[in-house]
Amino acid sequence: MSMHWYVARRVAWAVVATYLILTITFGLLAVAPGDGQTAFAFQAATEGGDVDEARETFDEITGRDEPLLTRYSNYMVNMATFNWGWSFTRNQPVMDAIAAAYPYSLMYAVPATLISIVFGYAIGLYSATHQYTLTDYVGTFTAFFGISIPNFWFGIMLILVFAVDLGWLPSYYQTGRGVWTLANAKQLILPVVVLSTGAIAGNMRYSRAEALEYVHADFVKTARAKGANDWRVLVRHIFRPAMVPLMTILVADILGLLFAGAYITEVVFQIPGLGLLSYRAIIQQDTALVMATTLVPVFIAIVGNLVQDIAYTVLDPRIDYGDR
Amino acid sequence: MAADTQPDTGASERFEDVEWDELGGLGLPRRTQVLVVTALAYVAAVAYDVFVTDDAILSGTNWLFVLTLLVGVFFVVWPLVENRRLTAYYWRRFKKNRAAVVSAVYLVVVFVVGTFGPLLLAKPELNVLAAYQPPVFLSVDSTVPTTCVGQSADGLCHGTWQYPLGTTSDGKGIAKLVVFGMRVSMQVGLVTMLIVVSIGTAVGTSAAYFSGLVDEVLMRYVDIQQTFPTFFLFLIVTYLFKPSLFLLITIFGFLGWGGIARLVRSEALQRREESYIRAAENAGASDGWIIRRHLMPNVSNTVITAATLLIPSFILFEATFAFLGLTDPSTPSWGQVIASGRGDLDSAWWIATIPGVFLFFTVLAFNFVGDALRDALDPRSEGEA
Repeated sequence: MSMHWYVARRVAWAVVATYLILTITFGLLAVAPGDGQTAFAFQAATEGGDVDEARETFDEITGRDEPLLTRYSNYMVNMATFNWGWSFTRNQPVMDAIAAAYPYSLMYAVPATLISIVFGYAIGLYSATHQYTLTDYVGTFTAFFGISIPNFWFGIMLILVFAVDLGWLPSYYQTGRGVWTLANAKQLILPVVVLSTGAIAGNMRYSRAEALEYVHADFVKTARAKGANDWRVLVRHIFRPAMVPLMTILVADILGLLFAGAYITEVVFQIPGLGLLSYRAIIQQDTALVMATTLVPVFIAIVGNLVQDIAYTVLDPRIDYGDR
Repeated sequence: MAADTQPDTGASERFEDVEWDELGGLGLPRRTQVLVVTALAYVAAVAYDVFVTDDAILSGTNWLFVLTLLVGVFFVVWPLVENRRLTAYYWRRFKKNRAAVVSAVYLVVVFVVGTFGPLLLAKPELNVLAAYQPPVFLSVDSTVPTTCVGQSADGLCHGTWQYPLGTTSDGKGIAKLVVFGMRVSMQVGLVTMLIVVSIGTAVGTSAAYFSGLVDEVLMRYVDIQQTFPTFFLFLIVTYLFKPSLFLLITIFGFLGWGGIARLVRSEALQRREESYIRAAENAGASDGWIIRRHLMPNVSNTVITAATLLIPSFILFEATFAFLGLTDPSTPSWGQVIASGRGDLDSAWWIATIPGVFLFFTVLAFNFVGDALRDALDPRSEGEA
């Protein structure tokens, strides 16, 4: 099977998966008892409006009085055209709310990703080439610490030590301090540390295991016999083949880890990014916003998986396309 | 296997001449007999609880927990006791890893205290007068608690043995909350693991054994399931339906087995080519028999290791959702206590800290034990760290 055919099939599969997920979500929405109508009516009542009228308005906006099939096709068309609905708690289209929120998520997620890749791979490679040394044990222990510590509790403990006791860093995020300022950097330190700890541990384990496969490989021994120095062996003969699986793991797994981790990090540090937006929407029963903010990471995961699989086939000549 | 059903055959009689049916068939081993009786009793008890009585004897989660414990006794403890030599061999390999031995002891304590503690202790109760008491041996400025239960001296309120780990902002004893939280964590971890392992192993071995269309359909389904991040699915479901521990266990259990299924499939594909499978096929064994008696036991080491490493992730998920307040508020989870202490970090640091320490060490211990099990159970991992 040619590579193009494989890629085409894989892309088609991603489209099918997206379609299925949207359908399942619609199904859940259709059968669920609580979908925000009460909250909408309650909000109308607190603002001095009529409750029954609000309920009708809600039904009209969401199209709940129409037959199921019409609702389904409307829903699908709206989803496909990025017309994802209206957030009544924020009085703006859902898309605008997301557009306003995501820069805040990027502000700490990008540094955290970079740090976790650089440190994770560096420590992992070092551990693999210096197996059973003190540094290797320290590294392994750090990895266990990183994957075991609950993100939210780690965040709270860091706040307790560095914000409450020592007073060095602010305990929660405040907007309006600019992007490239020292004040902003200071309040991003703790979120970046929390988010990257778990990811560093994950990367480290992967890269150590992956590099170990090549440390004792014949071609590495040959290179050493021919007089290549340690650095050259590490970079040219171990790191290069290990890169392929590491690159691809990075895309999907790190995305997933960061998204779930980011959710909790934003709630702990009150960063007004996608996670906090979604969390507030859940608490305030803003259905359209809940759906949009949870579906965005799901779609990113699908695209991530797609990119991972394609990258794998492009980067590794040994892959056989016939075997998926 | 069944030594107690050995037939009394004459010396002249040859093996082929034995009339097995006259001797009561092959006879079931004692473990199977007890297992069948216990299973029937369990089903009867659940049916009685669901259909006959109005007031529930146990909640759905607790019934599942009982089931998990029974499965653990029959499929882990019993075989280990029966095969003492193998157990001793595993133990020798396992105890090389000291951190794992300490972790295992810690986990046994958490398990026993968490399972039986809540039966003996009363539920922690609201008591505004006893709010913000510091843990025993520690003290806090007397302005923090409204009234000091222990000794009060030099403007400091000292902790008492009445509340060994202090109290929360509504006066619940943290020691008690920790014990109740142990049960929640153990239930989530073990029950979800049981569901995931059962489905994952069944799907993985079937896909590998039948191959062809069955394999394609099952693995395509796994692909879809794996693309949907469970964390966000649970967010949607918990938003649309009433959240509960039972819902969390079901969602993570019934949608989280994809990884195990893939792992088991790749392992079973190798086993399928072994000659003992061919021999069984030629002897006329049915598909179900081969899967149950030849494939599953031979992939079990892989499964047990992967399962141990899955438990901590379920515990972390539960704690995270409890922390976010997206689970049933009446479930006394560690995550919930941590969340309740978040606002009092500057005055009562112990509320958020202590349950988190237990959570962290429980997750860490499971990771250590899982890692050591991989080294002990997997014969191929010899010589590797």
